Amino acid sequence: MVDIPVLEQKAREVRATCVQLSHDAGVGHLGSALSCVEGIIALYYYWLRISPQTCKDPNRDRFILSKGHACTAHYAVLADRGFIPLDWLFRYAWTKEPLSDHPCKHALDVLECSAGSLGHGLGIATGMLYGLRLDGSAARAAVLMSDGECNEGSVWEAAMFAAAKKLDNLLALVDYNGIQAVGRSDEIMGYTSLEEKFRAFGWEAHTVPGNDVQSIIRVLGEFPFKKGRPSAIILRTKKGAGISFMEDEVLWHYRVPSDDDLNNALAELDAKPIHLKDKKQ
Amino acid sequence: MRLTFAKTLTRLAEKNPRIILLTGDLGFKLFDEFCARFGPRYVNVGVAEAQMMCAAAGLAHEGWRPITYSIASFTTARCFEQIKISIAYAGLPVVISGVGGGFAYGSSGVTHHSVDDLALMRTIPGITVVAPGDANEVEQLLPQVLESQGPCYFRIGRGNEPQYHAKDPAVLGRARLLRDGQDTAILSTGDMASEVLSAIKTLNSSNYFPIAYQFHTIKPLDTTVLEKLSKKVKQIITVEEHIPYGGLGCAVRDWLCTKDQNVPKLISLGPPDKFVLGSPTQCEIRPEHKFDAEAIVDAIVSRVEVLR
Repeated sequence: MVDIPVLEQKAREVRATCVQLSHDAGVGHLGSALSCVEGIIALYYYWLRISPQTCKDPNRDRFILSKGHACTAHYAVLADRGFIPLDWLFRYAWTKEPLSDHPCKHALDVLECSAGSLGHGLGIATGMLYGLRLDGSAARAAVLMSDGECNEGSVWEAAMFAAAKKLDNLLALVDYNGIQAVGRSDEIMGYTSLEEKFRAFGWEAHTVPGNDVQSIIRVLGEFPFKKGRPSAIILRTKKGAGISFMEDEVLWHYRVPSDDDLNNALAELDAKPIHLKDKKQ
Repeated sequence: MRLTFAKTLTRLAEKNPRIILLTGDLGFKLFDEFCARFGPRYVNVGVAEAQMMCAAAGLAHEGWRPITYSIASFTTARCFEQIKISIAYAGLPVVISGVGGGFAYGSSGVTHHSVDDLALMRTIPGITVVAPGDANEVEQLLPQVLESQGPCYFRIGRGNEPQYHAKDPAVLGRARLLRDGQDTAILSTGDMASEVLSAIKTLNSSNYFPIAYQFHTIKPLDTTVLEKLSKKVKQIITVEEHIPYGGLGCAVRDWLCTKDQNVPKLISLGPPDKFVLGSPTQCEIRPEHKFDAEAIVDAIVSRVEVLR
């Protein structure tokens, strides 16, 4: 059974971790990490059939964080779930350490693939699933993308392929936080619906409140949304979600939190970073 | 080369059940037998080269041996970043085959000319870059690239290239001796080997006996052969259907620059750094831009050097 209040508390701790990591390492993309926290939590605490013991099992579910710049949220969840040691979080974005600024499989083998350039993850997942199906595996794959990433033509090439090959064990999640690197994604995409686009490409798609873990879990429970079709979830989120002064601000795509920002954020979250929980600050 | 490529691939796929072919909606009728025999191991991804590369990467992650097929110009420049990041950064064993390298599709115009593919692919760390010269080299090299550990670009011709014979087998990563001789070494890649051999026939009758090596593998470059030749000959002539940058001529020049003085003089024959307009055929382009058999003869006999 999924305990929603526990996951909501988890989300606050993951957010606290993201802010702490960004502050300590002096690395941005915090807003992008904060917006997809519930999506990653819903996958790792509910949907994905993987564990630290089975992370090399050929029949494990695959997860690709295609919006690799949001990796602090992924790292925090990987540490919390025991895929990586908690103390690795102290060395986020340090030279030659496993948790790099953009995820690198050579540094962190538990990843399915490296990321950092947008528009690669969905295509890679389609290849994986096509191959797995030929091998008779029922493994599934989830790919988390950003709304800005959906500007990339390669996303739609992959979407066409997935529908044509009836990859109904594929789940795409779009973190629709409405803000991309230097502008509003709606404006850049011409105010057209992501959900309708996926449907037009032969997918079944739903839009849910993406910073509400219960809503995400409810819709994940219906996967696959339609037999023979890949499934897409548009997560209607807020950039910088959970920290009032970061929410819906383009600035927080890049900005690194100052000492004051960090303290204010942690106070508002009323949670500690997961790697500092047992330590006195 | 194209038909032999398809036949050889079908034979290899019979032996290795992990080989899977992806095409970017090209190769009409070419893979009918492959498709009939291996069904879902033939995947037409559509006119979507980026997706072809990412899907190939995903397949390779799952232990498959993907080989992609499209026209050389489309399958290198257009999806360069997918090759670099999804495939090569991950070190995945994907073979990217490009048909119609050089000006094989000359009359189709600039969009179909592939004279920068070797340069583009050579910039990618860990990739092997191969351009066989005839059907026989395709047959010998394709099994080798499908066994190699990392990614590979495999540039082939469009069809009906002249075939040639050489005693030495084609071994991946090693320059292949086509003709032994003295004074001058002519180094070719791709189907320029035939132009070289045709030139050598003429040259022999005038008492010139140049050495000919086919560099079917451009990366890694066979520097052992270059080392040997640089001590043995007075001049090296490279011949390639590729722009002056980043191909065989450039690779040899780069290598020679690392050596002490007294290296052989280098002449690089090939097309210019220009879009070739007017849709001429391959047969028209080679003499016009002075890198056909006659131009090779001229370079040796008359020491005519064409500045590119």
